Amino acid sequence: MKGFLWLRALVATFLRSLLIQGSWNYQTMIGTGFGFSMLPGLRRLFRDRPEEMEAAVERHLEHFNAHPYLASVALGASLRLEAEGDTPETVRRFKTAVRGPLGSLGDALVWATWLPLVSMSSVALYWLGLPGPWAALCFVVMYNTGHVGLRLWGFHIGLDAGRNVAVRLAGMRLTEWTARLRSWGVVVLGVLGGALLGGSGGLGDAGVLWTALAALGFVVGLLVGHQVWRPAATVVVVVIGVLAIWGTVG
Amino acid sequence: MSMLGLTALGGLLGLDGTSVGQFMISRPLVAGVLAGALVGDPLLGGLIGAVFEVYLLVSFPTGGSRFPEGATATVVAVGSSAGLGAEGGGALALAIAVGLAWGHVGGLSISWLRQVNGHIVSRQGRHGGRSPSRVTALQVGAIALDFARAALVVGTGLVVGRAALTAFAPAWPLDMRGSVGLVLVGASVSLGILLRDFGGFRKNRIGFVIGIALGLVGARFL
Repeated sequence: MKGFLWLRALVATFLRSLLIQGSWNYQTMIGTGFGFSMLPGLRRLFRDRPEEMEAAVERHLEHFNAHPYLASVALGASLRLEAEGDTPETVRRFKTAVRGPLGSLGDALVWATWLPLVSMSSVALYWLGLPGPWAALCFVVMYNTGHVGLRLWGFHIGLDAGRNVAVRLAGMRLTEWTARLRSWGVVVLGVLGGALLGGSGGLGDAGVLWTALAALGFVVGLLVGHQVWRPAATVVVVVIGVLAIWGTVG
Repeated sequence: MSMLGLTALGGLLGLDGTSVGQFMISRPLVAGVLAGALVGDPLLGGLIGAVFEVYLLVSFPTGGSRFPEGATATVVAVGSSAGLGAEGGGALALAIAVGLAWGHVGGLSISWLRQVNGHIVSRQGRHGGRSPSRVTALQVGAIALDFARAALVVGTGLVVGRAALTAFAPAWPLDMRGSVGLVLVGASVSLGILLRDFGGFRKNRIGFVIGIALGLVGARFL
């Protein structure tokens, strides 16, 4: 897998992986996007064998799901398996084996840790007085340093390790890194709480009543968890609606 | 002009949410600043974006789950309240309410789009659409459909939100501080949920209390 043409195919595959969720659906999930991302590499591999090319496209359009950023691991590894001439059944089995771990690992690392950590940091900076555009810029730069880095690293490690990618991933101790980031996340969550309480234009300025109600809301969220989010948002919408009607009629 | 611009911005940010890149410029903080700049009120855009960012700290585009669409919520909220004078507080509170409701409409429309994509993929599979050009056409078509979906949801949200805010904002009974307090009560629920996700208070009490102290000190001196 060397040479300029391969490099072009790899760059194209990586760029296409940014669109991997473009046709997300409940039948194949990101399977169609996976096949779409594999096309440049498959074209390079099977350029003189149209029937094999069609069969390869078909097997990569099958059902697949993983975290979108870590799907690049599976993309890189699948390209390597195809380049090494592994059987279709081996490629299928490999993809089936990695999709679950790549999904749960990515959800824990990115959605449940990295995104809230960067989001809380940026919004805390906003409530501490940083102008909105700078806070937004901080968010975009910080978040995407991790995001794009993870995608590139994933694609590289997939290409490099091929079928042994699971062993390589285990050696990276990503779960431990996630736990460390979450410890920092707790501190940043506290900073955000403090900034909302003490920052200008926040709860401190709103008065004791709103601060007490916010503390109650925090405790309810802490005790009940995710299932209270939607009812809480609905209550806010209803209260605002009632106040608006009351103000207009009264 | 700003209505068209906001609709197009909503379409583009809708793509970032799932289909294209996920660089998270669709997060409320960024979307609020962009929408605010478009309507000439970046301060209001930043404030609405920051409030929604706290609300949606626990809402992520995971797999097949249905989630409120933060970019839709924010662009609709900022666009609906622009020019109404945020100093009274009514524009802010009503914009948050309209945005929260429309974020759910955005979430529903994503589920609908995924079903449509499923029908198209199944149909193409039955008709042997495995050629590279067909696969590319399907992928690009689905992305275009997602843009149209997001733009349509944001466009209709702006019409509804603008009408609601024009009717109700002038007689809003709370001042700006009370309005911010009211919307932050709902947002604080998300902070509690997140602490629970991180392992709860007992396990994390030292780090959390240190953070609160740092936040209060920062708010006092920055």
